[in-house]
Amino acid sequence: MDLNNNKIIEMYTTMKKIREFENNASKLFAEGQIHGFVHLYIGEEAVATGVCANLREDDYITSTHRGHGHIIAKGGDVKYMMAELYGRETGYCKGKGGSMHIADATRGILGANGIVGAGQNIATGAGLSAKLRGTDQVCACFFGDGSTNQGTFHESLNLASIWRLPVIFVCENNLYGISMHQSRHQAIQDIADRAVAYNIPGVVVDGNDIFAVYEAAKEAIERARNGQGPSLIECKTYRHHGHFEGDPAKYKPAEEVAEWMSKDPIPRLINYMIDNNILSKEELTEIDNTISKEIKEAIKFAEESPWPPIESVVEDIYTDIVEEVRK
Amino acid sequence: MKKIGIIANPASGKDIRRLVSHATVVDNNEKINIVKRIILASQGTGVEEIYIMPDTFLIGHKAIEDLTLSKELKVSVNILKMDVHGTLADTIRAAKLMEDIGVDVIVVLGGDGTLRAVAKGNSKVPIIGISTGTNNVYPKMIEGTVAGMAASVIAMNMCDKNNTCIKDKRIEIYKNSNLLDIALVDCVISRQTFVGSKAIWDEQDIVKVIVTNAHPAAIGFSTIVGVRKIITDADDFGASVNLNVGDDYYVAPIAAGTMKLIRIDEPEILKIGEGYKIEFNFNGVMALDGERELIFKSGEIYEVKITRNGPIRVDVMKTIESAQEIGFFKSK
Repeated sequence: MDLNNNKIIEMYTTMKKIREFENNASKLFAEGQIHGFVHLYIGEEAVATGVCANLREDDYITSTHRGHGHIIAKGGDVKYMMAELYGRETGYCKGKGGSMHIADATRGILGANGIVGAGQNIATGAGLSAKLRGTDQVCACFFGDGSTNQGTFHESLNLASIWRLPVIFVCENNLYGISMHQSRHQAIQDIADRAVAYNIPGVVVDGNDIFAVYEAAKEAIERARNGQGPSLIECKTYRHHGHFEGDPAKYKPAEEVAEWMSKDPIPRLINYMIDNNILSKEELTEIDNTISKEIKEAIKFAEESPWPPIESVVEDIYTDIVEEVRK
Repeated sequence: MKKIGIIANPASGKDIRRLVSHATVVDNNEKINIVKRIILASQGTGVEEIYIMPDTFLIGHKAIEDLTLSKELKVSVNILKMDVHGTLADTIRAAKLMEDIGVDVIVVLGGDGTLRAVAKGNSKVPIIGISTGTNNVYPKMIEGTVAGMAASVIAMNMCDKNNTCIKDKRIEIYKNSNLLDIALVDCVISRQTFVGSKAIWDEQDIVKVIVTNAHPAAIGFSTIVGVRKIITDADDFGASVNLNVGDDYYVAPIAAGTMKLIRIDEPEILKIGEGYKIEFNFNGVMALDGERELIFKSGEIYEVKITRNGPIRVDVMKTIESAQEIGFFKSK
């Protein structure tokens, strides 16, 4: 498989940037700097990174309420993301969307989404669009285990299959739908099993192993680009924090947490890179310092950005027609 | 008490080969059905006690619940008391516990990798492998009812095990004289340097294939040897072949529906009990029975040895035919 050292270092940098962004978001939320709900991606970085490392800039992704990792992995700018979390005018949604609605159409990021499972329909639509326009673009659709009980999941897989749409359905199975363990809401253990019902390939990979995710995503994306239709990749992973910041996650058994912490994707990749002389500890520190600086600058940018003016409260919300009605 | 064990791997049959080939899919609810059929067939032919490995999907618990609700369960079925981690280590542990309990036979649902794990935990109890994996050379596509009947025959001692069971070969891998790991069918040496999605499928990176058995119809990497030389379980040798050397190209079915043109040299016969040194001049990984397991570095020296220390495998058809001849199926 074609995976050179530069690509491995690039993937490490992305994973570390997500971790650093999220650790800071956690701290800032606890300090009261960030308002609203924040759902962090800590522990799941290998999934977004391994998938997006195979995408082109003109490819699409759809995201979830736990979307920061997907947006960073697809090339989103952490300055505008942080400003959005701060509710500032310079943010991706001019400070009025917050964590769960970040989008960047210029990079094919079709939006985080506060509605569980709603990204699946959008991804299917993006796939249909690419097919109708005759391009070879693909759409990677990220979603959680809980959303696979939603009608949207089944409707999307069905349509994507029957129309052979270039969509890669990426399930981040982190074992919990909010606080409910998967075994309490599904009569299956592997969501990949559901692919059979829609006549598409379904595979299970270790979502905490960047190489496993990268390999599976590469094959599925090539398949989609070649017109062979959608695939379902189930990544077994784990969120280190609660469902949202402030959730003490008492429903998670201590042994389960300890086992998954030992499978943290970032130390696993660091060990591999050091062991295989891909980079030295000094070079690793240099990368980490650069990322740390970038996130600090993003926070500074957010803090120094203005609040949206009061008169903008209804801008970008209502269509012109409604505006006319209001008059 | 006539006891049998059942090990069902909930993770088999889901790897990346569903994307890169057209491999079979066996979902976990079908595995529960297979376990139910094994239980019913074995209790119907004299087995009194069954032990099942616990797993993350609760296959054993669900089979018991279903058969209790349908009022079909007559035999004592126990779930082994052990921690469950959702890894291959569970299978190794369960096989060892079953050996300690004294089960007469273990029925295993999985692929070559699962059977390899069972062989690591047990070398004394005969095993019956039902294929629910991908490229399966070792376990066979057999109906659970048939496997249950054969297990019962073994447990009831209603056949001559010398004729119906085979002591298999295995590949032993040593480093500095320490046994590192084993494979039942094949050891594939690849230039890939990471384990990744575990399954091995890309022949471009493969340097060498070592096998205990080889046949063109045994889908997987052992066919790379098999298309040049057939090696049966009765042969007291294995073989190795180098890829991308020599002038001869062969077509081999390296995965389900995947026929590849591969350049290989003449297979080298590896005699039972003799050690063969491999000195690596590149970094890579060894895949054992289809799963990337052992990472090695350039300059390291390993030794491989084909032995008869493999598991005792039940020839299901011979076992059932042998039992039929002496009236096993006649009502008492």
